[in-house]
Amino acid sequence: MNLPTLPDTLREQHSGKGWPLALVGSLLLLVSGLLSWSFDPSILGDISIAFWPASLQLFAMILGAVGVLLALMHRGPLHRLGDWFDTALGLRALGTGSLLFVVFSLVAIASEAGGLVNVNPGGWLALAGALLLTVGARFVPQRQLNSFAKAKANPVLEIVVIVLGMAAILFGAAYVLGRDDPWIFVGFLVMAAVAFMALARAGFFTWMSHVAQRHRHVLTLAAFVVAFLFPFTQDGSDANMSIATQVLIFAATAIGLNIVVGLAGLLDLGYIAFLGSGAYVGAMMSNAASATIGWKPPFIVVMLIGACVAATLGLIIGSPTLRVSGDYLAIVTLAFGEIFRLSMFNLDGNNGPDLTNGPNGIPGIPDLNLFGFDFGKPHTVFGIQLGRFSNYYFILLLLIGFIILVFTRLNNSRIGRGWVAIREDERAAEAMGVNTFGLKLLGFAVGAFLAGLAGTIKAHQDTAASPDQYIFLESAFLLAAVVLGGMGTVAGVLIGATILKLLPEKLRFFSEYRLLLFGLLLVIMMRVRPEGLIASKRRQLEFHEDDEELAQEVQADHLIDAAPEAAR
Amino acid sequence: MEIFLQQLVNGLTLGSLYALIAVGYTVVYGIVQLINFAHGEVFMIGAFGALATYLLLFQGQTALWILPIMIIGAMIASVGTAVLMERVAYRPLRNAPRLAPLITAIGISVFLQEFVRLFFDKVPGTDFPSAKAKIPFPQIDVVTGRAFHPMEGVTIQRAAIFTVAMLLLSAVGLWWFVNKTKLGRGMQAVSQDPDTARLMGINVDRIIVVAFAVGAALAAIAGVAQGLQITNVNFKMGFIAGLKAFTAAVLGGIGNIQGAVVGGLVLGLAEAFITQYTGMLPDPFGQFGGSSWKDVWAFALLIVILVFRPQGLLGAKVVDRA
Repeated sequence: MNLPTLPDTLREQHSGKGWPLALVGSLLLLVSGLLSWSFDPSILGDISIAFWPASLQLFAMILGAVGVLLALMHRGPLHRLGDWFDTALGLRALGTGSLLFVVFSLVAIASEAGGLVNVNPGGWLALAGALLLTVGARFVPQRQLNSFAKAKANPVLEIVVIVLGMAAILFGAAYVLGRDDPWIFVGFLVMAAVAFMALARAGFFTWMSHVAQRHRHVLTLAAFVVAFLFPFTQDGSDANMSIATQVLIFAATAIGLNIVVGLAGLLDLGYIAFLGSGAYVGAMMSNAASATIGWKPPFIVVMLIGACVAATLGLIIGSPTLRVSGDYLAIVTLAFGEIFRLSMFNLDGNNGPDLTNGPNGIPGIPDLNLFGFDFGKPHTVFGIQLGRFSNYYFILLLLIGFIILVFTRLNNSRIGRGWVAIREDERAAEAMGVNTFGLKLLGFAVGAFLAGLAGTIKAHQDTAASPDQYIFLESAFLLAAVVLGGMGTVAGVLIGATILKLLPEKLRFFSEYRLLLFGLLLVIMMRVRPEGLIASKRRQLEFHEDDEELAQEVQADHLIDAAPEAAR
Repeated sequence: MEIFLQQLVNGLTLGSLYALIAVGYTVVYGIVQLINFAHGEVFMIGAFGALATYLLLFQGQTALWILPIMIIGAMIASVGTAVLMERVAYRPLRNAPRLAPLITAIGISVFLQEFVRLFFDKVPGTDFPSAKAKIPFPQIDVVTGRAFHPMEGVTIQRAAIFTVAMLLLSAVGLWWFVNKTKLGRGMQAVSQDPDTARLMGINVDRIIVVAFAVGAALAAIAGVAQGLQITNVNFKMGFIAGLKAFTAAVLGGIGNIQGAVVGGLVLGLAEAFITQYTGMLPDPFGQFGGSSWKDVWAFALLIVILVFRPQGLLGAKVVDRA
């Protein structure tokens, strides 16, 4: 969204006209949602009725509302907030983005109904509004801003903002998962991305991160409550819950990988083997007819065994790190991953002992039954029916909570600092007395342990374990989730995992081109934003070494962090 | 004895193929210290390039003179791919942290596989078969057909002879190129010290492109040889072959061109012999032999080499990069 900036003289000459234009543009966008956008009522969830906004109209109204809010913060009743937020940059991003969104909507109408003649005045009005906003925002002058470090809002207000934000996320997620029309689905994503960008440019998320630091516990609690409430919004439908459980397993594994890659900086291209070993242990010790181990301990024990087997494999895979690092380590882990898959494929009794049933895998794994709670049966809570996948969703939520806890506690500990030191300069770390080999091994083992835990549950949720689930591509996907979201952060990995699992499920029409786009995405990400969507500042610095401003920010952050500790 | 000779033949054939691909890894690594993970895909595209040339120009013919033209077609496809990928994806990342180019390479690898799978039958103006399944590779007089039986129990496929011959030819050609031409000596200079080479007036960017192109050209030959040998091609053939060729490059000492050839042959022989002789052990050990475990053995060898002798058999030209 970086359009070439206007010449300063031109901007100063017309600086007074920018704000009214932007405000009018936003209002037009807001009003256009109330008018009819199309003649054809059968498309895009009926956007043909005036004063009854649906789908794309609603999204346009949201963008318009954000625009009005930003404009009023710049000048008008909310102008005092404008001292804190960079409304000019926000409006510019919003202008460009809404133009993109409206054009997308018009293309959607034209292609669904057959031609632009089907667009009603509402659609054209939205286009006009977006154009006005885009042009106007270019002329809005920037203001001198205060630093958020000095901002002290009412704590109650801040908590309310957190809760409202979380509620918006829950509502948005429930809404977007219910959309089956790909145009509406993508339209929502475009709208959300535009609103996100505009607020981010205005500095809203910088403020949010300061708020989040002050109320970290509230934020964590709110996030979990939202995640916990999510199944109740699905009204007994298991289709979306199935996707959600897959996202959770994927995310749990990716967070484990993030310990190895994001914190310790060791590239692991065979990570799926740990999830696989957990799943195979879960399958072999289950009550499935073709399970190959006679001993059937309670599931908690199986979980621990699966995790320990994975951790042992992690130790084995990690042991070459004593001698190998960098690219060679990546290849070693890749080879281990392939050996795991091929072994699972081969150990069928003809080629070695019968452990895994070979290519057929172990099918028919029964549902979990913990303390008399049958995960296979639907349950009704407060009159809302929760299906089989919802049950797994809750246990996976517990697991992911545990994994996030392990991740953050390790990250903020002596061990985590040791990992970061190894990542940034292994020799310097060793010279400073960091036990590099021990810590690297620990990284592999902990990551593998967590993935193994997730694997045992995955076996029951999938009802089968087979070698073709654990191919190299899956490892690449996991790595992509970490890289895309942001190395070394939990939020980033959660977002990366959600994007990578959710999009292909909802956008069936491009499932054929899924991998093609995935490959392209990796290449483009590495070129445009190698540190990921939500990067920790410190990690970001490693990819942009000559960025002085960022370096000072990082230093300032660490000084702020260190000061209270020193005072204690 | 027959078994030994047969495995010697198999190992040399396999090894020649690995050697041809491994040169591409080693040349690029020697100059930019980058594991071009997508090199296996360049090999695969070479095979498809040869196939496309055949289908376009000579469908149904089997004369020997077609083969050189197919090889040229394969080279155009794979050199084009390699040069494009260097220009678009790797060059912007030249000073990035080492994680970035590796992840890019994975992305390119997935992209190229899918690109061939989805679009091979959609080339306008042609009626190529869909690449979603295996496509039969054309059979050419003299280099395919009835196998030789020099003695009882030993079979030598004609395509195997072709592969070994191509390796010898390419090795001589490569030696001449690297040691006798200006570009080749430029490559040596850049691999020793890029900064000084630049000061001496060598266009380093061009040398890097040449390195990618040379590797791709040999990979294209390997692609044709592989197609003739196993009589079909598919879009997944590059992944395992690439990984093993990388093993061969490391085995010989990465950055060392002679090493890549030696490493390829040694890896091919090791794979053939281990697979054969493990299978002849008494059960339960014998179960770990045979073709279903051969990739496992190759990968185990890869790990052992990387861990215990990362500088390879002949010694790496690049020290302390891994």
